Amino acid sequence: MNPRASIWLKTVYARTWVRTKSIYGEPLWVAVNVGFPFFTSLALSLLYSSAGLKSGIGFAFLGGVMVSFWGNVLWSMASQFNWDKQQGLFELYITSPAPISAILIGMSLGGILGTAPSAVTLAIIGWVLFAPPANPLWPLVAVTFALTLASLYAMGMALSSLYLVYGREADSVNEALHEPVSFLSGVYFPASLAFPAALQAIALVIPLAVGMDALQRTLFNLNASGVADLSLVYRDILLLAIMGTTLLFAASKALKILEEKGRRAGTIAVRLR
Amino acid sequence: MSYVRSLLASIRVGWARDFGWTNPILGFSLKTIAPIASTMTALTILYIGFRNGVSITPEKFPYQLGFIIIGATLYAHISAYSWVPTLAIAEGKWTFVFPQVYVSTRSSPPYLAGRCLASFASSTVTSIASLAVAVVISLLLFGVTIPLVVTPLSVVLFGFALVVNIFASMGLGFLLGAYAVFASKFEWALPTYVSGILMVFSEALFPVTSLPHPFSDIGNVLPFTEFIRASRAVLLDGSVGSYFYYLGLSFVGGIILLSLGLLAFKYSERRARRLGVLDRKVV
Repeated sequence: MNPRASIWLKTVYARTWVRTKSIYGEPLWVAVNVGFPFFTSLALSLLYSSAGLKSGIGFAFLGGVMVSFWGNVLWSMASQFNWDKQQGLFELYITSPAPISAILIGMSLGGILGTAPSAVTLAIIGWVLFAPPANPLWPLVAVTFALTLASLYAMGMALSSLYLVYGREADSVNEALHEPVSFLSGVYFPASLAFPAALQAIALVIPLAVGMDALQRTLFNLNASGVADLSLVYRDILLLAIMGTTLLFAASKALKILEEKGRRAGTIAVRLR
Repeated sequence: MSYVRSLLASIRVGWARDFGWTNPILGFSLKTIAPIASTMTALTILYIGFRNGVSITPEKFPYQLGFIIIGATLYAHISAYSWVPTLAIAEGKWTFVFPQVYVSTRSSPPYLAGRCLASFASSTVTSIASLAVAVVISLLLFGVTIPLVVTPLSVVLFGFALVVNIFASMGLGFLLGAYAVFASKFEWALPTYVSGILMVFSEALFPVTSLPHPFSDIGNVLPFTEFIRASRAVLLDGSVGSYFYYLGLSFVGGIILLSLGLLAFKYSERRARRLGVLDRKVV
């Protein structure tokens, strides 16, 4: 095998293993991670019930599942390099022959594997407690879910390169991004039933919004006819594929540029700014 | 007097921590966006329920929106500053600030109270701003004017309710801080759980009476529930009598919670000193 490809794959494996081990080696993480999405989903489910729309409970729990991944993208992908800088780990990354892109891919895979147990637990709890009505088209659900995660984590990689130039403001930006993006993406409700067309069009630039729309359409009936509008699902799948590829490419380019700039300016490993 | 100086110094530290990295306008704007968005999420769900469900009549809908706007913004306010002591301890252990505070003359309770008050001040501004913005967005998005009672009297009474709620939130903060003194991993997990539980039990989004017994009783005795009820009484119903009734309950509950919190914190601080974990970072 090409030595560069070999080192790239080994780096991906190593970073995936470390992140996965950190979760599975401490099962309490599952209980910790499931807490806030569970109570948010529960509160919003009870809000759906009190508003006389029990069929909406599924949206609340699907939202909880996806918010687990979105939180992981923001806090464990986007700002991870910033934390690594604080702990002196980032200096080791850039002085080692390990490619940064491989470290990010490994972090993404490990993040997905690590978040999966809490997301699955939440889905099971929601199903056991409320048994929300669903009409899933499983093959499309699987494709949509995979593409949503791919483009979300690609966005996390792009953000991580951006956060590399930031200091303490990364945490505040994360806190400011989490809820508005969840709202605009219609994480806990179908945006197509609530937002005007212009707002829906704006939201289509967010991978989470496109993924949520497709997941809601493939898991639940959004039409009065009870049949999912597959043309919109295919549109979303195409959009997700384009977004994922573009963001991956953008993340790789941005990382190279910022890494080069940081090395020249001598600021790449500066801890507090 | 020196306690007051410690408190004031800690408030300044809290402000510097929250806004020192940027200018105050950008800092406040970033802190306001999240509560607006979470309030709008709850409002949108109610709107979808109104359009597609069977429970809400058009006459009731504006009132229901007001019910949720007040509840959701105040919930965000409570959860924003009640976990500040946990943050101050956990972050302080990493940055060596907390052990320094502990060995100083006035020790940690005034420091944590000061950090809480700094967060209370910023959270009050962001909560009121998010309430105002959510009202405007509701008008633009749903075409509904929310029947809020905004008079000099209601504004003053609402401000007084915010101040009374400090006791309960600070009490909760000290209780969580008592745990954070020992924790060196997952220290943010308990506040996250408590914050989530409050979303369900504090009547932020729906009446706790809709919860099954005995869960509804738990919600009814929380000072946070009474605080949110008092705020709704004055801002939505215009009922001053109900306001004082609920605020009285919130005050009594807050004093009890603060006393428990301080006792728990002092006990855990003494025990942590004996066990040598006050500056422990990693298990």
